Amino acid sequence: MEQCIEKENSLAGILLLVLFMVISAIAMGVIVYGIDSVMPGAHNSFHDFRHFIGMPCH
Amino acid sequence: MIDYAIWKRGIGSGVVAGIVWGWLAMLIHTVTGISPVEHSILYNMFPFTIGGVIFGILSGGLLALIHDRLPFKTSFGKAVMLTSLIWLMLHVGGFLLSLIDSGRYHYSSREAVHGLILFVLLGGILGAVWQVRNRGWRV
Repeated sequence: MEQCIEKENSLAGILLLVLFMVISAIAMGVIVYGIDSVMPGAHNSFHDFRHFIGMPCH
Repeated sequence: MIDYAIWKRGIGSGVVAGIVWGWLAMLIHTVTGISPVEHSILYNMFPFTIGGVIFGILSGGLLALIHDRLPFKTSFGKAVMLTSLIWLMLHVGGFLLSLIDSGRYHYSSREAVHGLILFVLLGGILGAVWQVRNRGWRV
């Protein structure tokens, strides 16, 4: 059981979750500010969503 | 030390809450009509779901990380506070961008209030899902 807990709390697992969170944070920035230079079409694709959450848009 | 299992559960709760919130947001949008819609409901299902999941992952992940350090006794209060802070942080960025380029980033206080209310709703849903997944229903 201890081995199982150790595996669960392994550094690789934690780093994977950190990476996942960082990627999500970048994706959030791209969506919220419609950064087309990072993801082409982000502005248009999430246009209604951005207005709806109250973020400044054209 | 970060507890991997709690963190994973927090992200999972966030995904569930985010999807529910995204779809609920679409429904609210049809009722309030706060901003002119450019795309059809069918098309908007995709960005609202993806957006909800992204916000859910971040909110749930952060809630799991700092749950014990946040004020408020209930998970509901903690989650609402966290999502409101996330919205405020993003909104300050948007407001600054509108000062730099007002043509590209047009500011609307009406939409801003609407957005804040929605993020409070996201926090409420996340708090409820967190409560269910971690402790079960308790009144």
